Amino acid sequence: MTAPHAASLDLTLAGRPSARALAGIALAAWPEHEKFLLRSFGQRSPAVLDASETVSAAILKLIAGEEARFGEDYRWTCDRLREEEIFFHREGRYRLSTFAEAHAEVYSNDVYMGRYMRGLLLTQALWFNHAATTEMFLARVLGAMEGPFDYLEVGPGHGLMTAFAAASPLCRSLEAWDVSATSLEETRAALKKLGAAKPVALVRTDILRAEPAQRRFDLVVISEVLEHLEAPGEALRFLRSALSERGRIFVNVPINSPSPDHLALFSSREDVVALVEGAGYRIDRIELYATQGRPVETALAQKISVSAAVVGRPE
Amino acid sequence: MSREVILGDIREIMADVFDMDVDDVVVTPDTTADDIEEWDSLSHIRLIVAVERRFKVKFTNAEIERLRRVGDLVALVEAKQPA
Repeated sequence: MTAPHAASLDLTLAGRPSARALAGIALAAWPEHEKFLLRSFGQRSPAVLDASETVSAAILKLIAGEEARFGEDYRWTCDRLREEEIFFHREGRYRLSTFAEAHAEVYSNDVYMGRYMRGLLLTQALWFNHAATTEMFLARVLGAMEGPFDYLEVGPGHGLMTAFAAASPLCRSLEAWDVSATSLEETRAALKKLGAAKPVALVRTDILRAEPAQRRFDLVVISEVLEHLEAPGEALRFLRSALSERGRIFVNVPINSPSPDHLALFSSREDVVALVEGAGYRIDRIELYATQGRPVETALAQKISVSAAVVGRPE
Repeated sequence: MSREVILGDIREIMADVFDMDVDDVVVTPDTTADDIEEWDSLSHIRLIVAVERRFKVKFTNAEIERLRRVGDLVALVEAKQPA
């Protein structure tokens, strides 16, 4: 890393030591990434920088003792994503379209999955759109809950959002569902490292095959999951049965975001609105955040990845 | 097609991809991403794909990885032109 850029990153992240440390871990493995990180952090508001610090501190707990490996796998994952980007911009579609293809190429390959999951974890703080979505979740989803709530997350992954929810004084109970027993074990280990403030019931469930839910929740979260499914609308419709009458659902889904295992392509804000409304929800709020903090309309026109975060309620 | 013509066309493509006025895009064979603020890893992919479309060529991932200077891109396009 050259001195001027290092100084700029130090300045941009002054007072946010965890975010600075995480950026340093990525740069140690990938010095040429500094221009991207400078822009990514430089575009963030003070509120998003605060959220970045919160999520970075959590990530540092998860990767403690393996920082270099995570940095290398972040770079490796970005290389894989670049290959998918090239295909997407050439062909106008995601490379894979069925779960069987994704299973054959990605999910059944433990080495690939391990690197991919470690790489994706760092994106939660290093990428503008992911950090901005986390800021929305903390401030305008968890922060907007007006009374005690029961929380359900589908596809909890590294456990970050579940752990943030557990820290809410209003959170009464937590449950997390995943189709994969292996993923649930990884979530269990992550929640332990994060020191989740409350117990979390981890339940193996396939929301595309499950019977209507027996229990109702006040806040249902499905973040960066629907794009991995062949039938995202069906999954959202099923979750309607898990939502209490006055409950809220938080849906985070990427637009124009090619990845090795992304199947469902959403090309516009309208696609996301149709997905959520078509599944039986009324949208209270929708926020869009483009990669690198680019203007959303420009990003949509140029087919650059945009995170769409939606708060809905039962219609 | 001469290198000068290819360079001129790439300059127009860069203006479009980077959302800049073409008069503001100053490129020489030695221009790199460090010289243009809007040229980052994301816009690089769109630039490459736009160049592929304009010149009806296709680059390998290894070729894309190696590209550093505008002159490298011009030379690659030239090498892929039909004889």
